[in-house]
Amino acid sequence: MSPTSKLVGRAITDTIPLCIAVIPWGILTGALAIQTGMSALQAQLMSLLVFAGAAQLSAMTLMASAAPLSAIFASTFVISSRHLLYSLVFRQHVATLSGPLKLLMAFVLTDEMFAVSEAHTKRTGGFSAIFALVSGFTFYIVWNLATLLGIVIGGSLQELESLGLDFAIVATFIAMTFNDLRRVPILLAILVSGTCAVLLKSVLSDSYIIVAALAGMGVAFLVAEDKE
Amino acid sequence: MIIWWTLSGMAVITYLNRYAFFSGFVRYTPGSKMKRLLGYSSYAVLTAIWAPIVFSFDLELGMQHTGVDYLIGTAFAAILTALRLPSIAVVLISTAVFFGVRFYL
Repeated sequence: MSPTSKLVGRAITDTIPLCIAVIPWGILTGALAIQTGMSALQAQLMSLLVFAGAAQLSAMTLMASAAPLSAIFASTFVISSRHLLYSLVFRQHVATLSGPLKLLMAFVLTDEMFAVSEAHTKRTGGFSAIFALVSGFTFYIVWNLATLLGIVIGGSLQELESLGLDFAIVATFIAMTFNDLRRVPILLAILVSGTCAVLLKSVLSDSYIIVAALAGMGVAFLVAEDKE
Repeated sequence: MIIWWTLSGMAVITYLNRYAFFSGFVRYTPGSKMKRLLGYSSYAVLTAIWAPIVFSFDLELGMQHTGVDYLIGTAFAAILTALRLPSIAVVLISTAVFFGVRFYL
């Protein structure tokens, strides 16, 4: 097997647990879109073009309550603002890539691709554009197939989100982060961001992830600076 | 027609957030301190995503957990990672434990 084939295989293998975890949400997104009054084409295009689960689900909730377009756009911006952080982290990785590759990389820059790709970069010591793109498009394909399934079967699988498939997200993200717990700043980044996210979720439902993450990063940075 | 505007606007907003720092329009280059700060981003963001799946907070009830299955599964994932098992083994074993607890307890 060539090194490239191995890389592609590893990217797919690393992304699969997160793909499985997101299938119920993809189905829910497709089913909700139809219930909100979208045509099958519009429902599928939403996942094909927007490709942001939390923003899509939030927008459909707002559409169902006849919220103005400005509220939907504001919610979309706030929820997807953590991608600004991913974009900043990836800036140095993609600096040498061609324009079209940058456009593609940005299109599939999701939570899951960021997580899997950053773990690969830490493991190997170098960023791989092939790995990141394969991971991103693997997730894109599964997300859109799940949406299609939701469009086709509609609301007949209402209990799907309570099956516990979201535990795969917990297991995968712990496996990617807890191996560096011996480093005090990283331990603090994890403790502070996790605690803040749990405390803030009910009051900042659109932005708790980015707020909690920035708090964790800030504390870790200050502690590391103080130690030096 | 409003749905098409909604889809188009959302697609543009999410894409611009992702592409923002890839473009030549933003000339900002992170310095050494910013790079160190960003080095903690994956730990902080991933934890901020998974922690509320397992735990929640209510002003009246205080800290809650989603279920014993989530707690035990999370503990297994944490211990196995600390024992330096490969990521895929951590995910497979802790997920198996999670579903075992979920269906048999």
